[in-house]
Amino acid sequence: MTRAWPVIAAMFLALGGLSTVAGYEMAPPRAAQWREIAWPFPRDGWPAGRAFRCGAAECGAEVEIYLRPKLGFCNCDSGVADDDEVDRVSDVDMISPRFAARKAGDVVDVADMHGRIRAYDLGMPKEKRIAIGIALSHRCDLMAVVAQGNGDAAQVQRATLALLGSEEITKWMTAAMEGSR
Amino acid sequence: MGGRVTAVCCTFVLVLLANGASAQQKIGDPPEASNMRLVGTSDLQARSPYQPTIHHQGDKWIAYIGHHGGTDDIPDPVNPMTGKPEPNGTSIVDVTDPAHPKYLRHIPGQEGKYESGGAQMVRICDGKDLPKGDRNAVYMLRAVGTEGHEIWNVADPANPVLVTRIGEGLKDTHKNFWECSTGIAYLVSGAPDWRTRRMTQIYDLSDPAHPVKIRDFGLPGQQPGATGAVPTELHGPISTGPQGNRVYFGYGTDKGGFLQIVDRDKLLNGPKEPTPDNLQFPEIARMPLSAMNGAHTVFPMPGMPIAEFAHDKDGKTRDIVMIVDEAIQNECGEARQMVWFADVTTEARPMLISSYTVPEASGAFCARGGRFGSHSSNESMAPVYYKKLAFIAFFNAGVRALDIRDPYHPKEVGYFIPSITAATDKRCVTIDGRDRCKVAIQTNNVETDERGYIYAVDRADTGLHILELTGEARAIAGLP
Repeated sequence: MTRAWPVIAAMFLALGGLSTVAGYEMAPPRAAQWREIAWPFPRDGWPAGRAFRCGAAECGAEVEIYLRPKLGFCNCDSGVADDDEVDRVSDVDMISPRFAARKAGDVVDVADMHGRIRAYDLGMPKEKRIAIGIALSHRCDLMAVVAQGNGDAAQVQRATLALLGSEEITKWMTAAMEGSR
Repeated sequence: MGGRVTAVCCTFVLVLLANGASAQQKIGDPPEASNMRLVGTSDLQARSPYQPTIHHQGDKWIAYIGHHGGTDDIPDPVNPMTGKPEPNGTSIVDVTDPAHPKYLRHIPGQEGKYESGGAQMVRICDGKDLPKGDRNAVYMLRAVGTEGHEIWNVADPANPVLVTRIGEGLKDTHKNFWECSTGIAYLVSGAPDWRTRRMTQIYDLSDPAHPVKIRDFGLPGQQPGATGAVPTELHGPISTGPQGNRVYFGYGTDKGGFLQIVDRDKLLNGPKEPTPDNLQFPEIARMPLSAMNGAHTVFPMPGMPIAEFAHDKDGKTRDIVMIVDEAIQNECGEARQMVWFADVTTEARPMLISSYTVPEASGAFCARGGRFGSHSSNESMAPVYYKKLAFIAFFNAGVRALDIRDPYHPKEVGYFIPSITAATDKRCVTIDGRDRCKVAIQTNNVETDERGYIYAVDRADTGLHILELTGEARAIAGLP
């Protein structure tokens, strides 16, 4: 009998562990924990913006998001007209010059700005990654957003839009879009 | 001691405020000028202008001036000649007597405000110069927004007649170029299936009534079906024709610009299918600017003798391209856009050799309102100024005259900042969520004629200013 106790204890521990794993896998990801990181790209024609990272545990996949205003870079009347414009302006090329759209994009509204969102496969040398490009217009100005991750596109897109919809980022984008006309 | 420091500080602040206040233009203020003089004006019906082209036809001198779309406040200004509101298009002005320009006709353009409407670019060729043109005709080629391009017969400039339309459903149009001796036209267009808003559609317009498409041209990555990064869009080309066999393309506006040097013969006669290899084939060289600058105008000046190099065994003459960026943000909200000179003598290795900007402090231009920085240059190659003087539209710093005889050391020799009028439109920046607006001159484009008159136009609706040189600047041109 005394010999059976360690076996029983081990079984309980194992079952407990398994149920913990199962419970973790079934539960929705914890509230996203975005950490702001340094702008990871070299200087180009536009000033650096803000960059954030969210781990797999919180966002369901490792996701990084980069966003910055491009003042005066949008057609004042037509706004973000088509998917070609998302390809051109959303900064996907900062991550990799080789990318291919997965399908046609969609319209999107963020922080009272209207634009388009599109998913891409990135041509990364070592791993397959996806990117979400977003171009939003406000009068003659543009907010360029690009996210990259190793999850599926829907997962990365959900995480991206959740961050953009947060109060802090919405306020920042609104303030950053103070351009001229 | 503290009182003295306070007094000094207050005085300093007052001086700064006074300088800022004095920089602001007011209606009634005289123009600011050096070695340039106002000869005449036209209000252009308070329409926002783009590139003027001055053409000598018969015994008349006619200015053809493209326009941007209307404004939020006045989308379609009233044409006093018809009494009707008309979307901005093309102004035709008789400038034979530059002191008394006579507005002849407004041809309406595309509905739409600012850069989304109007008919911005205009080029003129005489029928007698075109290989298959009507010898009695004078043809005006104009870009009409997304509606495409049009050719009009303006032999009677007060009564233009539409000849033909080219293209439709384009994403955009802009700064075309037309070779009058061959009829080859480089139309800045946005073909619907291309990935860029502005690329080149090349047409044979030697018979303007029957346009013949030659090819579409752009940068690899812009063509239909491409993937990956999309290169910067085109602003405009200038060709040196069959003799020079070069076309210079300026890409970008205020960001990521570059000069592309293209072999004209390969461009026109090489393989035309828009594959990456075929698009690359005619390119001789591509010279990038800083990512913070674009290339609005690329103006070639081949074979310039350089006095400093006169005794050198090699390189006495240089092939020069003047590159002019376009400022787009009001009140210095971006990196400075200015003028660059490139030595392209060794074409495969073009090199920037000098630059020019108006000193901001000379007029507190960042505080005046509107854009400050360069936009465009004159494009006339008439002997009176070619390779001697260049004129740069510098928005709120007016038009600037540069002595470019030594392009390694360009030097400003004159300027003219027109007065504002009641028609001058405001320019705004957003601060703390509110618009803060100022009124300032916004000299947008400039052109010259063979007589030496300088035509500056104001983007903020003030109109056309016809100028002439005086003093040292006039002497450089050899004008009496």
